[in-house]
Amino acid sequence: MTRPRKNPRTERAAHRVEGGARPRFDLAATAKETGRPRRDPRGEERLALVPGTARRRLDRTQRIAATAISQAPAPSAEAAPTVRIIAEPAYLVAVVPDASGGRLTPHDRQLLGAARILADAGGGAVLALAEADDLASAGADRVLALPVAGYDPEAKALAVQAILAGLDIRHALFPESPDGGDLARRLAAMTGEELFAGAESLSPKAVTRAAQGRRIEQRRAPPRLISIKADAVAAHSGARHEARPVEFGFPAIALGAILSADFIPADPAKVSLAEAEFVVSAGNGVSDFNAFRALVAALNATPGASRVVCDAGLMPRAAQVGASGTVLEANCYFALGIAGAPQHLQGVARCEHVVAVNTDLHAAMIERAGLAVVADAQQVMPALLKLLDKEAGG
Amino acid sequence: MRIAVLLSAGRHAVSGRPAPVPVELQAIRLAHDLGGEVTGLHAGPDAAPLKDTLGHGLPRLVHHRITVADDPLPSLAAALIEGAFDLVLAGRTGQGGEDTGLLPYALARQLSLPLVPDAAALAEGPQSGTLSVEQALPRGARRRLVVHVPALVTVHPAAPAALPFAFAAARRGAVEARPGLVAPRAPTQIEERPYRARPKLIAKAAAGASAAERLKAATEAASGGGRLLVDPLPEEAAREILTHLRDIGVLRSR
Repeated sequence: MTRPRKNPRTERAAHRVEGGARPRFDLAATAKETGRPRRDPRGEERLALVPGTARRRLDRTQRIAATAISQAPAPSAEAAPTVRIIAEPAYLVAVVPDASGGRLTPHDRQLLGAARILADAGGGAVLALAEADDLASAGADRVLALPVAGYDPEAKALAVQAILAGLDIRHALFPESPDGGDLARRLAAMTGEELFAGAESLSPKAVTRAAQGRRIEQRRAPPRLISIKADAVAAHSGARHEARPVEFGFPAIALGAILSADFIPADPAKVSLAEAEFVVSAGNGVSDFNAFRALVAALNATPGASRVVCDAGLMPRAAQVGASGTVLEANCYFALGIAGAPQHLQGVARCEHVVAVNTDLHAAMIERAGLAVVADAQQVMPALLKLLDKEAGG
Repeated sequence: MRIAVLLSAGRHAVSGRPAPVPVELQAIRLAHDLGGEVTGLHAGPDAAPLKDTLGHGLPRLVHHRITVADDPLPSLAAALIEGAFDLVLAGRTGQGGEDTGLLPYALARQLSLPLVPDAAALAEGPQSGTLSVEQALPRGARRRLVVHVPALVTVHPAAPAALPFAFAAARRGAVEARPGLVAPRAPTQIEERPYRARPKLIAKAAAGASAAERLKAATEAASGGGRLLVDPLPEEAAREILTHLRDIGVLRSR
């Protein structure tokens, strides 16, 4: 792609023969190369050219070229990912992530990031008290699963109390989420220790929280029990940690007072857009709204729409996603025929996964999506419905 | 059923004036709908701001008078033991005090009551002497729990809205003042200053980056570019999309 850049002036200077009144040049002498490579705009353009389209189109993001290149040659021997091992920790920082369904939530990752701050300040290690997929990359050194099945917060609190009493734990961190905050408060009541509830900033020297309806900021050195609000501390982004399973002899734990617990899933048709889990959204590329609604029902999702569709009266205003509509907290966003104006993308900013179907390869939504399909949404919708029907039937 | 609703001295979220806490008004509504004898309990220096709760469906409020420096926990515990209540309702957190939400837990511990957090609906249980609590979970889900009474239940803001204020009910309701227990608070290391709003984390936006870069960071995918399919057949696209949705755990495979 690049070849050495030619600099005629240095070449001329290199050919010049020293001495003599008139300037003389020896053209047989080889010129020294300058270090800067020269750009080849035509070669770059060839790589950016999108194949298989009638119109000449350029993809400057180089995603096609990059995938083509990465698929063609065998991956070069990558340097093994470095794993940071803390063999002899001075103390432990326990973390009790929610990790519902064995997946770390973004809040859980921030919690592990906070634990890393407290552990790295004095050569400690982070102990995660849950089983989850990628605790190693989130920054956990040790993993210990709690022996509690089902919803039994009292038994969980007893198990954590046993760990706090049995291991050298300097801090225990909890997410300020419904279940995590509940567990932290149970533990505080059980042990009689002070809980610093809902910390909004954290450093090895001080934690702060809001009190008196956000009029007062309370501040102190980090105590043993801390619960941390979402988006207060950045998640760990450094090297992987070993996440080694450790053994602990739990005492026999009596069952709690709850006689039965049934989970009632939210009805996606009724749940508000702001707290929906999975949103399927229609944009200007969708014209058959009956098929769209059938698809939303078949996927068990909450319907959304772009501003254009709501302005046209094809979907209710309450379904509008974006800066002037609803800012989503969804786990997954499925955009059908939406190009992705910046105001719309702001509404999707907090979604973890985005799937987009759009005819325009250069749409911002295609760039944002984890799975981007350059196709007509009007044709993909019936195909999806047919496939879902077939799976439900067979 | 004898129901106690714990009421705290709140402050209005916007004006900062003394006012009842909204979620405690919702607790009064839940108690009212469940039926039975409802009593409000407050331990603090002044019950005047809580007179409004009488208009929101509370027939009787018992005020245990303590000073600002006193811990309300012993007074409330003594009142709950004396009242022999079947059910104690409290808000999730106060608004205007410490706002830690710890008091219901400490009370439940002291009285050895089971505690059920975040109730959005209450009903009689399947057997007599039990209570069915619908617990509000994130994203609109619910969990139905059955516990034996007596129990302590905290109420979530997703519970039905408070009963509308009625002036006649506010006039009719009675406030009964009693002396509380003197229990000075334990000293803490906590230092207080005026609140300073801290910036929330924005995804990966470097400090001092330009507005365009911050917008890009806020709108771009967290994991960089994903997979791209250019002009697949609709059937192939549908298969890929369903596989991807199952992989990320959004769509449960049948």
